[in-house]
Amino acid sequence: MQILIIEDDVQTAKFIQKGLQESGYMVDHAADGKTGLQQAMNTEYDALVIDRMLPKLDGLSIIEQLRGQGYNVPILILSALGEVDQRVEGLKAGGDDYLVKPYSFIELLARIQSLIRRHQPQEILNHLQVRDLKIDLLKRQVTRGNTIIELQPKEYILLESLMRSAGEVVTRTMLLEKVWDYNFDPQTNVIDVHISRIRAKIDKDFDVPLLKTVRGSGYILHDPDLDKIEDNKVINASS
Amino acid sequence: MSILGRILRTSVFRLSLLYALLFSLIAAAALLSVYIFAENQIEDQIDRRLKLETNLLLENYKKHTLIGLTEDIKIYNKKEGRPFYIYALIHQRKLDLRQFIPAEQIPELSSEQASGQNRNQNQAQIFASIPLNEIVDYVNSRKNDQTVRILLTLLPGGYQLLVGAELEETQDLLNQLFKASLIAISVIFALSILIGSLMARRLLNRINTVTNTADNIIDGDLSHRIPVVDDRNNELDRLSRSLNRMLDRNEELMIGTREVSNNLAHDLRNPLNRIRHRIESAKLDKISDAEFTDFADDTIEDIDGVISTFNALLSIAQIESGEPRKDWSEFSVKNLLDDLSEIYEVVANEKGITWDYSVSEGLTINGNKQLIAQLFTNLLDNAFKYSPANSIISLSAIATKTSAIEVIISDQGPGIPEGEHENVFKRFHRLDSARSTEGNGLGLSLVKAVVDLHDAKINLSDNKPGLIAKVSFKG
Repeated sequence: MQILIIEDDVQTAKFIQKGLQESGYMVDHAADGKTGLQQAMNTEYDALVIDRMLPKLDGLSIIEQLRGQGYNVPILILSALGEVDQRVEGLKAGGDDYLVKPYSFIELLARIQSLIRRHQPQEILNHLQVRDLKIDLLKRQVTRGNTIIELQPKEYILLESLMRSAGEVVTRTMLLEKVWDYNFDPQTNVIDVHISRIRAKIDKDFDVPLLKTVRGSGYILHDPDLDKIEDNKVINASS
Repeated sequence: MSILGRILRTSVFRLSLLYALLFSLIAAAALLSVYIFAENQIEDQIDRRLKLETNLLLENYKKHTLIGLTEDIKIYNKKEGRPFYIYALIHQRKLDLRQFIPAEQIPELSSEQASGQNRNQNQAQIFASIPLNEIVDYVNSRKNDQTVRILLTLLPGGYQLLVGAELEETQDLLNQLFKASLIAISVIFALSILIGSLMARRLLNRINTVTNTADNIIDGDLSHRIPVVDDRNNELDRLSRSLNRMLDRNEELMIGTREVSNNLAHDLRNPLNRIRHRIESAKLDKISDAEFTDFADDTIEDIDGVISTFNALLSIAQIESGEPRKDWSEFSVKNLLDDLSEIYEVVANEKGITWDYSVSEGLTINGNKQLIAQLFTNLLDNAFKYSPANSIISLSAIATKTSAIEVIISDQGPGIPEGEHENVFKRFHRLDSARSTEGNGLGLSLVKAVVDLHDAKINLSDNKPGLIAKVSFKG
């Protein structure tokens, strides 16, 4: 997996580069818009991370030029501008996701992972499975072991999102965006409440808990035995 | 600089001088026309009288011939009155003045060039040159060179009837009128300048108070205001009031900004201190890996708190700038509140709170959907944060008679004291009772910013116990 970061702040770029390399990605860095655009067109990447404010050529112009040529690699926009309508602007220009500075590395990683996965050719799945937790996507039925688990419609969507990103951190804001299409952070940890209800249904009566909270960031659904190594890596990267 | 000097330099004074000049000129023109009119009137009157008298005498002449006419002339000449009229009978060829009737009253006419020696001969010539049946002016050297107006009529036998009017009186009158006009114009001019200057001084004084106020404010006394008389309402008072209101607003904003930076500095000091202490102690005492995880998590939490404060401040500033108007749409209130209800009902269940949700169908709001969602989320967050178990939180939306949309969120928590209802929207304002709970004191400021952006209103009231927050959108 190869990622290009176009970011003029060298410190930030180095930090992201290091973090992503530790998570198993190969990372290139371009420090200005023109170089970035050239590099994106000359090398095949799996994802681009583009800062909005760049010397020589700004982020949105890069994206518009790339998209204008039918470039379809997923792009994550980074911005210090923040807030709702700039997000809309960024997505309209052709970005696939938008992250406001300052952000946690874990959020960045989670979003990049999610973008790359979404972009990969998806085999049509009938079911999702993590250890003995299964979702039958056709029947919309959740089982753990032999037990059928009853979920509310939104709980089902939440769980499906987590299952599709199994082994990866999913942040609260990502869940809010995915499940309710709102991109703000309620002070009350409403998502925590929803997650704890799901957890009560899928984990409480079983030996191995699958749904974990990553403190300060979000949640991860995984098989602790299978993902042990990757799990540690994620947690360390967040610290 | 002397007061006079100052006045002379002002544009107001120059303007009043110009007005004085213009005004005096107009007055002069008016008086001149009055003068000309008066002169014409008097001449007309005299001319009519001359014709009338001539006609009367001619009537008598027809009846009583020349003898009768001479008698009449004698009687007429004795008449008194102003102006003084002269009647005489002269002969066309016998221009010896002594033969004129009555000889002593015949005016001694002269043209401009006439001189003493040949006066007599000149007289004869002048009389011969008087046009007939026509009113003309001559100078009478017998009577102080005053003007005499003459009508000469030819009678059979070479006789000529002269009726004249001495114009001295009327001339005097017109002269006086002229003098009076001159005086009037001078007085008008002087008064215009005087009044103009006084007005200029008044205006100047008032403008000076404005200048002084501005100077005081520049020097740092923000509370200074332009003195205004309450019941007066001229342009200057209105201007002063507007300026004062502007100054009020500015002061408010300045104080607000100052408070915000003070509070921000204060709010940041605590987490930054904690972070510093933690790192310091981590450096001094070697900490174990397990301790390090806690240390890192706590530090990240503190930093996230700082970041979220900044983000909230930036959001509010961005909303206040009106920029989110670019992302405007019409959306269903029910859909939005259904989502929120779905999210918060679970939280209510968790906390043992009764969730009371009702919303009318078909309501729509024109605005920024994300921000409106954020607005209600912040209000609901507050309700949940302070509500005890076994209480009720309700969310409802209705259309009022005026087709405005009211969204009401009520709880049974501690509420907000009446006097604080306005203050809670200020940035970083936190009730003493809320200091111990989590939060940055910006939630309601953001609510207010979104409400203002949508030209809506928010009203807080007492739920006895608890708080009712009512947001009204214009229909």
